[in-house]
Amino acid sequence: MPPKQVKGEYIETDTGNKVSRKSNILGSQNIILGGKTIIQADCTIRGDLRRAGAPGQHGNVAIAVGRYCFFARSSVLKPPGKTHRGAFSFYPMKLGDHVFIGEGAVVEAAMVGNFVHIGAGAVIGKFAIIKDCVRIEEGTVVAPHTVIPPFSRVAGRPGVVVEELPETAQESLELKQLYRVI
Amino acid sequence: MNAPVYPSIFIACPCSDNVGQKAPTRSRTSNDEIDPEEEGQAFNPRAPRSTFSLFPLENLLFCEDCNQVRCPRCVLEEIVCYFCPSCLFEVPSSTVKSEGNRCTRNCFSCPICFAALSVTATGEEQTGPFILLCSHCLWSSQDIGIDFEKPTSITTQLAQKLKAANASSAASLTAPSPDSLSAARPLSPLGAGGTYLRPPSPSALPPDQTDEAEFGRLKAHYNQQKALASGDDYGGSGSLSRLMGLYSSNSGRLRSYGSGALRETVTARNKSEWRELEQLRTVEDEEDVIEKMKNAGFHGTTSQTQRIVQTHSPRLLDELRPLAALLRTKRSKRCRSCRHILVKPESKVGSIRHRIRLVAGSYIPQISISRLDHTAVNYNNLQPGSTHQFLLTVTNPLYDPINITLATPEKTPGQYPATVYILCPEFEVGATTDVWDEALGPEAKANPKVAKGKGKKTGLHATIWDSGRNWTTVVLEIVPPLLPEDVELGDDDHIVKVPILVRSVYEADIEREDTIGKEGREKKEHSYWSVLEVGRIAKKRGADEEGVRPMSIMSTTSSTAADETSGPRDRSLR
Repeated sequence: MPPKQVKGEYIETDTGNKVSRKSNILGSQNIILGGKTIIQADCTIRGDLRRAGAPGQHGNVAIAVGRYCFFARSSVLKPPGKTHRGAFSFYPMKLGDHVFIGEGAVVEAAMVGNFVHIGAGAVIGKFAIIKDCVRIEEGTVVAPHTVIPPFSRVAGRPGVVVEELPETAQESLELKQLYRVI
Repeated sequence: MNAPVYPSIFIACPCSDNVGQKAPTRSRTSNDEIDPEEEGQAFNPRAPRSTFSLFPLENLLFCEDCNQVRCPRCVLEEIVCYFCPSCLFEVPSSTVKSEGNRCTRNCFSCPICFAALSVTATGEEQTGPFILLCSHCLWSSQDIGIDFEKPTSITTQLAQKLKAANASSAASLTAPSPDSLSAARPLSPLGAGGTYLRPPSPSALPPDQTDEAEFGRLKAHYNQQKALASGDDYGGSGSLSRLMGLYSSNSGRLRSYGSGALRETVTARNKSEWRELEQLRTVEDEEDVIEKMKNAGFHGTTSQTQRIVQTHSPRLLDELRPLAALLRTKRSKRCRSCRHILVKPESKVGSIRHRIRLVAGSYIPQISISRLDHTAVNYNNLQPGSTHQFLLTVTNPLYDPINITLATPEKTPGQYPATVYILCPEFEVGATTDVWDEALGPEAKANPKVAKGKGKKTGLHATIWDSGRNWTTVVLEIVPPLLPEDVELGDDDHIVKVPILVRSVYEADIEREDTIGKEGREKKEHSYWSVLEVGRIAKKRGADEEGVRPMSIMSTTSSTAADETSGPRDRSLR
């Protein structure tokens, strides 16, 4: 649990998001934060990498984040991109509620569900889909296009499911307490 | 996999006591017999059997009828649904029975690194041919000479490709054998092994007779299996005789069934024992194998993990096949003794909700441990001989206040016992009330008895340290033993393991529909043994800090100083 920060370290929004002044957020108009999300110093969030071409019915959203998420220091969130029909484009990235991203982790997933813990130094490959209640251990490298089913513990390089999580996973992965600490 | 994190708390599931092996455990620990409670004997966390009954609270369930915790060993599991972990499609159980426990869509994992394979177009403008590509290690199905015309139904295409490959390789040596049929199911235990799996000498017989010979051999095998299986009540004999009945007529019927029947025969073969596979397996010419391995070199051969997951145990990397994704299940859990359902997940694959979920965390008081002095201490390097003070917090998940009694042997079990002292072993913990009570003010509805001792933090004997709405903290003193340096010690001896009996007594409403009013209250109690793994004992006083965890801020020497300063103060208080 990180110690209480000095006052003024975070900018608090109306919905309770706490964004570090030292974080590196690009294209903030393309980022949606659900509320009560904490973004620590040196985080990089690439909201500028949005879908190529004119904004369609999906709007401009590059990164959508749910409630009670926690992005630890120096973590990187980057929408996944690929060449489709000869044109390179980025695709939106969606994070659910109670997503913890550890220090120095790099996330390029297409979707991350609710109650997901991504350990420090983990790398989540492009277009990976992580379902609800998943714990990704420190230093795991999840290959691109991987799908991780609910209630899984993932470890290794490449990350594979090593264990099923117990029924209580949702409680142990909840981040409400963590929000109160900051 | 991960290094153990200290301090950690485990709860003993009493289920292993029921298996009738109490006697040997007792005789083993009779030397250091301690008799603290009516339970008879303190739980010994160092007993060899204890490892199998200690679980973290998160992994335990609770049976309301038995009033007992249930560990993964004392629950029965029932499969709610099968699904592919990669495409997350539900697979009906009939398909699982007929096609095996692997995904029949496009889900494969890399045979080299086990990451997921993705179907990738190799042609211009996203056109074929398509390959299965591993985006982690860049292995592709082209490495074994396989590509696909279309990006869908890869399993069928792969089966055809392997069948063709087997047929051609088999044709060069022998006439097409029934073995190439097994390639129709490359994922089955017998599949995908054309070059390895050859019936003893099929070339001696014309193809038709090969089938018949194979059929006769199988029939004999199943007769034998049936005879074996009838001995036990495993249910295997029934299905075997059903199978036998299916093919008991002459081989003419077999032929009249055409490919369908042959498909069935293959299924029947798949269900057979692995021993049969061993019979079928003909050893290749040794010289040949040596030559192949010599050419491939060390880096061209498979590792043990790679070989084990493949059905045909290939020696060389170019004999590996993409692995179809193994299905996963959602399971409901029942109490083994009363058969009540403890966990019932929703059958939808993506859902994480449960219809029934009786987890131990919502029934039994939870304990947690932290340091009294808030300076960080290295739990991997506890100073022996000095008093370590910890805060033991008991949290009540129930809606009724509970009375807790903690009991622990003064000396922990083991060859080198640590001294343990709980300053306040009996106390009350308030009920888990509505969250609003806390929001409106911590003292608003708190139990007056609990509130009385709140916030004192005296550390006096027989008083609690601190308490809140549904938690109470007491002080726990532990003196780790001084370990001899000249004796060879097991890794286990370095860890301070403290068994604590947590007994809770409370009054609860009687759960009966016919009871009117609030008179119906009954006294309930529950007790369990927990084991605190407090930390590792340091080598010796002031030992050099090897294995210091980065999270510790204080050095060993300063933590010793803190202990020494806190030590006399407490002695004077007592």
